[in-house]
Amino acid sequence: MLKKGLALVLFVFLALMMFGCGSQQSSQQSSNSESQSETKTEEKSFDGEIKVGLIMPLTGSEATYGKDMENAMIMAADEINDSGGVLGKKLVTVSADDAADPQQASAAANKLVSSGVMAVVGSYASGATLPTLAIFGDAHIPHIITVANSTKLINENRGNAIMINGTALHQGDKAVELFQDIWKVDSIVIVHQGDAYSEDLANITKQKWEEAGHKVLGIEVANKGEQDYSSIVTSIKSKNPDAVYWTAYYADGALFIKQLRQRGYEGKIAVGDGCNSPKLMEIAGSAADGVVCTSNPMAEYLPAAKDFIQKYKSRYNQDPGPYSSLSYDGIYLLKDAIERAGSTDKEAIIKALRETKGFKGISGEVTITDDGTLAKSNFVLLEAKDGKWNLMQ
Amino acid sequence: MLNIIAQQIVNGLIIGSVYSLVALGYSMVYGVIKLLNFAHGDIYMTGAFVGLAVLTVISGAVGAGWTGIILAMIVSMMIVGLLGVVIERIAYQPMLNAPRLSILITALGVSLTLYNTVMVLTNGEFRAFKTDLGYEGISLHNIQISYTQIVIVLATAALMIGLHIFISRTMYGKAMRAIALDQDACRLMGINVNKIIALTFFIGSALAAAAGIMAGVYYGSIHFFMGFIIGLKAFTAAVIGGIGSIPGAMIGGLVLGLLEAAGTQLPFVGSGWKDVFAFAILILLLVFKPTGILGKTEIERM
Amino acid sequence: MVIKDLNTTIEKTSMDKRMVNWSDRIFEVFEDTKVKTGISTLLIVTSLALPYFASNYVLEILTNAYFYMILCLGLNIVVGFAGLLDLGYAAFFAVGAYTTGILSTRLGINFWLTIPFSILFSAIAGIIIGGPTLRLRSDYLAIVTLGFGEIIRIAARNLKITGGASGLVGIERPIFFGMKLYQNQHFYYIFLLLVFLAVFVSYRLHNSRLGRAWEYIREDEDAAEAMGIDRVKFKLYAYITGAIFAGIAGSFYAVKMTSISPETFQFTQSVNILAAVVLGGMGKIPGVIMGAFILVMFPEIFRSIGNMRMLVFGIILLIIMIFRPHGLWPEKNN
Repeated sequence: MLKKGLALVLFVFLALMMFGCGSQQSSQQSSNSESQSETKTEEKSFDGEIKVGLIMPLTGSEATYGKDMENAMIMAADEINDSGGVLGKKLVTVSADDAADPQQASAAANKLVSSGVMAVVGSYASGATLPTLAIFGDAHIPHIITVANSTKLINENRGNAIMINGTALHQGDKAVELFQDIWKVDSIVIVHQGDAYSEDLANITKQKWEEAGHKVLGIEVANKGEQDYSSIVTSIKSKNPDAVYWTAYYADGALFIKQLRQRGYEGKIAVGDGCNSPKLMEIAGSAADGVVCTSNPMAEYLPAAKDFIQKYKSRYNQDPGPYSSLSYDGIYLLKDAIERAGSTDKEAIIKALRETKGFKGISGEVTITDDGTLAKSNFVLLEAKDGKWNLMQ
Repeated sequence: MLNIIAQQIVNGLIIGSVYSLVALGYSMVYGVIKLLNFAHGDIYMTGAFVGLAVLTVISGAVGAGWTGIILAMIVSMMIVGLLGVVIERIAYQPMLNAPRLSILITALGVSLTLYNTVMVLTNGEFRAFKTDLGYEGISLHNIQISYTQIVIVLATAALMIGLHIFISRTMYGKAMRAIALDQDACRLMGINVNKIIALTFFIGSALAAAAGIMAGVYYGSIHFFMGFIIGLKAFTAAVIGGIGSIPGAMIGGLVLGLLEAAGTQLPFVGSGWKDVFAFAILILLLVFKPTGILGKTEIERM
Repeated sequence: MVIKDLNTTIEKTSMDKRMVNWSDRIFEVFEDTKVKTGISTLLIVTSLALPYFASNYVLEILTNAYFYMILCLGLNIVVGFAGLLDLGYAAFFAVGAYTTGILSTRLGINFWLTIPFSILFSAIAGIIIGGPTLRLRSDYLAIVTLGFGEIIRIAARNLKITGGASGLVGIERPIFFGMKLYQNQHFYYIFLLLVFLAVFVSYRLHNSRLGRAWEYIREDEDAAEAMGIDRVKFKLYAYITGAIFAGIAGSFYAVKMTSISPETFQFTQSVNILAAVVLGGMGKIPGVIMGAFILVMFPEIFRSIGNMRMLVFGIILLIIMIFRPHGLWPEKNN
């Protein structure tokens, strides 16, 4: 009897969960379907459809960012449809969840290929993007990578993809500029978290810093979610560097900065673009003052994005988050490329994408080089002051 | 150099005392019903979130200083202790005669459930654990120890000594030790085995909650996956000390904390390899002393 | 009063029994030889014909399921047949994947030639992990295997030769009699073939002298030793066989994904594989296959509920374990 009673409790719990999330889901879907019905009520006559695949993490630990990306891309597609679509055709988005995990990303990419998408926009985590390059490449589908930016992606590109976020190479340059020209320091310690993204940035910064004739006193690894970084902090203090560069994410970065300052480290601290969240200051408190972030362009610091932020906020009732503006640009860039190609032929779109020159997005100008990356870095420097990130002049 | 070594020892002891506190719960439950409670790390995490919730509610009345924190700690130890009992009743009790591995997977199910419930409730975001405590502390020859750290170590020590007295001196403690030896005989002797097992879960979970809140206060931020690593580490600590042994869990936690600090500082190891260093020493230890530092030699197999 | 209590107790137990019988009966149907042959034939024919009408997405998911079936069958040898606990099984899978990855990207060795090396290295890994653990009690085995799994993952993350945290990229796709294997159909058939092989080997092992020795050790180690079974030797064989299954699966995983990174080989991966084995039914080959299938299908089916998915998975896992502690499709003699 006990067993049954307990099972009943569990079943009820489960049912409630399903119900709860069901309603949550339906509300989300309703916002999507609303947007679709909006376009329907206007009764624009479209001359066919263009299916665009959106790929990003919608479940798992990175789901928050993925949802921001999806929101921004759907918003861009709706705007384009409202103003007549692309070449008279309607943009129809198909979302696929890669959960920021290579195996699930591979399944998600196949899902998009199976559903016959004309192009794919998105891709958040570099590790999860790598296996999808071959899948989209084999299917000759144009792929606009809006967020993932590991340099490992460049060589694996089958020619069908372009990366519109600055890579670690760009960010390393920005970091060198900060250390050498603004702070005028010599010795640094770099700390990463043992994942593809932060390790890539750490190694590239080390290489560039040493090429510039300066000293890297050490590369440390802080395990994700470990919270206690006191032993690493002590080890860094014993090396006494002029500056410390944290290349990983904000949550552990905030704890790291806090512990570094608590233990009396007085040198400069810089952080990578995974830290450009205001949450960093919320967790680290006053310890974050004076910390500088080498950041990808975020909507709130972009003069061209004012309009975007307002629209995003009124539609989704939340802040756009760090990666939405790039993803928003991704959809508009696709529209631009299709129009330049003058057709919906995949090869023609790929060719147009790779020849992109001076495309004006809200995150800055996009010009694509021969290796499919940005010609000019769009990284900015942000300084933490009074609990806020401010553009460094 | 001596300064650095001393500072690393302090670092190791502080993180080690958190490991010990969580390892105690592992060891107690294992000692009594021979279950590796994989959900224990998630109970620690739940404790931190319950603590934050309680603190937020009561901070209006008493503030978020030491009074508020101690009150929040006591309240959430009770709540999470009861949660531990509920989990035992729902998930583990029906399984007591099932194969050992099945109970292990059940524990995994509990862990997934707790972890994901908190993830959904907090939307996967980090929460700042705001208190009114500063960083003040004492500095001896360049070795920094904050008052918060001192309080954490003292509180851990007090909880452990209390537990030790409870287990070695009271009737309940005696009953626990008796159940660990032979459950069926205990039943025949009129001991309410179910009640004692529930009590074990209550104490183990309450201690984990205390550790979770201390971690929240100390580090200043909590998140849904904070229990994962600490759960692994506490499990390791419990085994190093000799699983099932209460003093063993304490020693194991401190040893693991010191090993990690040493691994970070040692030039031929470094921070990237510190876990390899700790696990390698663990394996070597088990090869030469298969029951851990304080474990009893038992002839028992699966 | 007492009698009333007793009555309800009897009622309870008979009710519980009835439930168990009811769910057991489903699987009993499959024990009938005719039904068994019929259903397996149907399954084999369907799985062979599937690429002709299923989409790439379906093939990808099934290939993934086949991949986990191989891993689960391998772990089943260690856990189900020999009764040893292993919380670091992903390490062997990592050894196989990295062996192929390193040999093909750094030395340009043909994929098919890397497989013997994968077998060799994963067997060595099995000996290294099996060696010191054989004296240990089962729970200590849990932590040693866990520690070993973490050591392999962290080493892969820190070493230069394994490509660090970013892992290895650009692993060449294999060429099979002049045909480059890259399409979903190709990998679908390769993994299906590997599953057939794994099932065949599992059955042969189970019914062999080795399998019986494992069974004795699992049921009563001391009695087995008294019967003259060298338990150290046979336990080591179990580890090695399990490791080889994972090593081969890892090699094919590497060429299918073309990139591998340490994050794939986390503790969670080992736990998932173990959960699938226990969920399906330790020691029961069709049960284990079913466990692997559920493990892969569940997240796909419930993807629409977003972050609730793993919560629901946890609760369902709990319910199944409480009601069927021996797994969904347990071995008869349990």
